Amino acid sequence: MIPAEPNFHPIPGGLVPCPVGPDSLRGIKRQQTNPSRWDGPDWQQFVAAARERDINVRETTTACGVFATDAGGTAYGLPHGVVIAQSAGQISKLLKVAQEYRVPVTVRGGGLTTEGESVAFGGVLLDMTGMSQVLNVDPDGLTVRTQAGIFWHALAEELRRHDLDYLSAPLNLTSSVGGTLGVGGIDVNSPRLGCSADQAMALQVVTPTGEIVECSDTQNIELFQRVILGYGQFGVITEATLRIRRYTPLRMHYFYYGSLCTAVEDLQMLDRNDASDYSGILTIMDRAVNLLVAFDSVERETEFHKTWQSKLRGHGELAFGLRTLARYAVRPWKYAEAWYLLQRKRELFPEFRRSEYMRDSLMHDRTVVFSRAVWKFWGSRQMVIPDLATSSDKFVEAVERGNAVCRKYFAHYTLYCVGIKVRLEHRPHYEMSCIPPDAEGWAYGCEFEPVMDDGIYSRDTLQSFKNEIYDIGVDLGGSYYRFGGMMKGYIRRIFGDALVDRHLEMKRAADPAMILNRDVIF
Amino acid sequence: MSGLLRGNSPISKTYADCSGCSLCLLVCPVWRRTCDIELTPHGRSKALQNDVRPADMTISIQSCTLCGACEPVCPERINLTDMVLDLRRTLGPPPGFPTSAPESRAGLQPISSAPLLLRDRALAANPEVLNHTATLLGGVMMAGDDGSDIALALEAGAEISPQRLENFLTSLRRSAKLIVADGLLLRHLARWLPGAPLVSLGEALSGLPEVRNSLRATDLYVIEPRAYHADYQRLVKYYDGLRAARACAFNLDLQRIAIPPSAPNLMQRLGLAPQDNDGQACWILHGRRISRIVVERYEDRTAFENVSDIPVMYLADLTEAGAC
Ligand code: SF4
Ligand code: SF4
Repeated sequence: MIPAEPNFHPIPGGLVPCPVGPDSLRGIKRQQTNPSRWDGPDWQQFVAAARERDINVRETTTACGVFATDAGGTAYGLPHGVVIAQSAGQISKLLKVAQEYRVPVTVRGGGLTTEGESVAFGGVLLDMTGMSQVLNVDPDGLTVRTQAGIFWHALAEELRRHDLDYLSAPLNLTSSVGGTLGVGGIDVNSPRLGCSADQAMALQVVTPTGEIVECSDTQNIELFQRVILGYGQFGVITEATLRIRRYTPLRMHYFYYGSLCTAVEDLQMLDRNDASDYSGILTIMDRAVNLLVAFDSVERETEFHKTWQSKLRGHGELAFGLRTLARYAVRPWKYAEAWYLLQRKRELFPEFRRSEYMRDSLMHDRTVVFSRAVWKFWGSRQMVIPDLATSSDKFVEAVERGNAVCRKYFAHYTLYCVGIKVRLEHRPHYEMSCIPPDAEGWAYGCEFEPVMDDGIYSRDTLQSFKNEIYDIGVDLGGSYYRFGGMMKGYIRRIFGDALVDRHLEMKRAADPAMILNRDVIF
Repeated sequence: MSGLLRGNSPISKTYADCSGCSLCLLVCPVWRRTCDIELTPHGRSKALQNDVRPADMTISIQSCTLCGACEPVCPERINLTDMVLDLRRTLGPPPGFPTSAPESRAGLQPISSAPLLLRDRALAANPEVLNHTATLLGGVMMAGDDGSDIALALEAGAEISPQRLENFLTSLRRSAKLIVADGLLLRHLARWLPGAPLVSLGEALSGLPEVRNSLRATDLYVIEPRAYHADYQRLVKYYDGLRAARACAFNLDLQRIAIPPSAPNLMQRLGLAPQDNDGQACWILHGRRISRIVVERYEDRTAFENVSDIPVMYLADLTEAGAC
């Protein structure tokens, strides 16, 4: 019998603790790794019962193998069977049977989790991308009703045929709408609009016990509050009504910094003063720190040039290049780093200026541009993206301490920082989420993304790296975007027992057999 | 198997490099129709990573239309079209695939330095259209050996004898210009005849001033996807130039990938299963305000005529319709 770690809280029908010894990482307490595979005895009866209800459960190696891991590529697990989502009715039947036979159901949208949150360690994998239809576009009311398995990109394709666009979505084409609403979703316009989940007006949800419920800020309010940013614990989002807007291309500007602290301060200054429509920081290590500023209209851009640009301490590309050259000229022992910066710049910058996406100096389809670049330059079969989310005043410290951890572990990495407008009316949604409870006005998030190139890193090294970043969050009293799956050991440390226990009670009430996304949070 | 039939890139990446990003799904017509990840490059790569045998993926391997849309968007730069062709060769052609001796075509065509037009199946079946196209292109010879049997064998995963291939290539080597209507054949000719003056029929026709100037701002111009995606980096700029010059709409998505007007799987393309492709043409037309559809590929007229009343024109017929 493997002893439970002190912070392991068994749940009814739950999994045995991680079999890797707690001392396997010298000096670093192991938090959580792949859960053991569920191996319930009733699988075959469950499949028979599901098929009786016209649910197609695919059990082939091909069907299951496709979902063996998520975008992180460090958590591996196989479902016993796969169900492709077809309708709320089908999902309702599936969850009812799953409750009866206590079979775990792991819901997957784009599969862009990095901590194994969308990996099924046995049981059913419910592939939501089967529900990818746009149901209704209202160009006058500026709303769209869509099935929730749809990729944001597919939604954008549909909306563009009406000259419309979504308001806020992750800079990643293959995130699904439902998955994003379940965790937040950050865009470079989040400093003005809040996270992607803040754009949801109403949802159709299938609860863990199979009821199909419409919820919003006025209807089934409590369910709405728990499902939005709820990490899939309280229901499967099957449809969503989202606010949308008229499509506009972007007027992009880049400012370059040699200091993280200065860039973050300038970013926060812009956000506080509503000086831009889009803002964010993207870096090459801590050497080339790029503050991105963009506008929807010429008026806003003009106002920025007139009032705010002179207050920024960043430089244009040429001036920054010369300063960087001067810096490395007197540091010959750093030539390898300088060479890397130069190479990276050569490869990366043209990608953001490809002629087919730039017309009259306007960037069209920013999500396409950024997403293609993200996958091309940062994607690989293994990805870890630990993050820190804090209130404004703690953010510089969080970024600088996280940066030091990156330097310790990896030769090359990228930081992505963005503000998130805290919407007062949505406070109840934010409970136990990436929005830290002490955030006033804006929360700030920073992702720490190693560039792994062709390096091979053990899971333990990657876990140690993530743990060191997450320890900063505990220390600062912040939060995280990716606190589920392999990082769930931090949940009690960051949110406290009282809050987590309250949510666990709600989860037990909503999901008696604890079948829905069981390995993600609790 | 001839070495010529293998992947073209010296450092070609394979399914093992697939990160599972799903970008290929966004452009794949099979995904659009089925929402079944097993039938996509992502699904095939992940299945292969997990040691699934090709024989257990037959439906997936046959479902691919070889439109090539997934290849330019794959951030890992996996030769996804080659991957399907390789898998098809592993499986062998489906039952019912004609097994006529392709060698019979050898020597059909005198070796010449004149520009050659290699027709596709649709043009071969419509001699009048073919002649008109050739006349418009001016001074081109019709290739007696158009390699259509090779294109079909490639698509089906059938054996192509090295002798047959060599005869075909020999007949092309001296030509000053090769205008190729079949996008899959064009992709392969680019690797079999490195440096040869190859151009797709669509690009050749749209480069003619009289054709180009006949395009209107209210036209939807339908690019032939296979040739476009095979030479994406260059052609995305070419068509962007055409858009800037003529202001017409294109069958391009937000990633500037060509949406195929139809999505026949292998069995459908070989005529062994009925077609059910209206969805693609409907999606291309969805929400667009256009007065005319102009297709690069003669065969694509039908896909639009089946689902809409908007006039459809073959690119070479534009000059007859007159400039605007
Ligand atoms: S070639 Fe076309 S049909 Fe085949 S997988 Fe790629 S995008 Fe899909
Ligand atoms: S685009 Fe390439 S890397 Fe991404 S899932 Fe498809 S095959 Fe894999």
